[in-house]
Amino acid sequence: MTNPEWLERAARRSRSETWMLGHVFERYRELEGRTQEELAKELGCTPDVLHWLSLCRRPEGQDFDEQASAIAKRFAVDLVSLVQVLRHVEVMETLSRQVGNGDTLEEQPMQSAARDRTRDSENNS
Amino acid sequence: MSFPTQEEELALHERVLKRDPVAPTDVFQVFMDPILSALGRKEGREREDAYDSIIDVLFSYLANPERYLSQKGRLSTYLTQAAKKRLLDRYRSTEARQRREQEFGDAFELGARSPNDALEISVEARRAVVRLEQSALGEGDRALLGLVLQGERSTLVMAEAIGLASLPEDDRRREVKRHRDRLMKWLARLGKEDSDDES
Repeated sequence: MTNPEWLERAARRSRSETWMLGHVFERYRELEGRTQEELAKELGCTPDVLHWLSLCRRPEGQDFDEQASAIAKRFAVDLVSLVQVLRHVEVMETLSRQVGNGDTLEEQPMQSAARDRTRDSENNS
Repeated sequence: MSFPTQEEELALHERVLKRDPVAPTDVFQVFMDPILSALGRKEGREREDAYDSIIDVLFSYLANPERYLSQKGRLSTYLTQAAKKRLLDRYRSTEARQRREQEFGDAFELGARSPNDALEISVEARRAVVRLEQSALGEGDRALLGLVLQGERSTLVMAEAIGLASLPEDDRRREVKRHRDRLMKWLARLGKEDSDDES
């Protein structure tokens, strides 16, 4: 895949759209203190492919597995690593929303579901 | 670089509507360069502005694809027109900002003094204050002088400072003017003595 001159610019812009994968990657890098290169390595791709991935819609809802698989297949990245990154950010965002709302930090269904899903993905790989 | 066929555009639009996770990358790949060409040859800063405008428009479309009505025209036309408008807005906004900055710069330049001038004024003011403190001016005169130097124009306020507020209005006005004129003459003499001392 050739890399046009606008790719990095568009990928950077995707960080400000919460429904884009670029936003998820940015949050993950902030939370885990990863560089672009480190995250690319974790997903098993190059930094350029990471830019293309950033322009994908963030998987969500009932079709999460199917959407994540489609992304991983299209860009030949490691599905388990991609799901782990997505779920990690999802859990942290849910937690920060709960803390912001003054809720307790007791385990919520979303978190346990996220952990179960990640375990399932790991076992299946 | 040319736009896809109408059928290809519609198929892509359908995928966007279905929230296909990889459709956005295809939208960028398919539309970025043809729209840039439609905006005209751009170099340097203009090219960057054009890219940013197209990127804004594509994200806006991807966030709300339902706003595009296929029966009203082609998707490529819809996106190109939106990008042209966005670019124009960007130019206007840049021009307005530059104009505001220029106006502010002009106003600041007119109001600002050179560092030498500012230092000279500061030294003169300090010297004048010392002379005033050493002078034999009474308390009332000092209060009146303070008010005059601050730009006070009310006769009553100045009369109160020198204890003449109870006088009838005509007398009060006349007395305040007399005191004020006397003080101004005194100040002028003080200034002249200062300049004589320096020469």
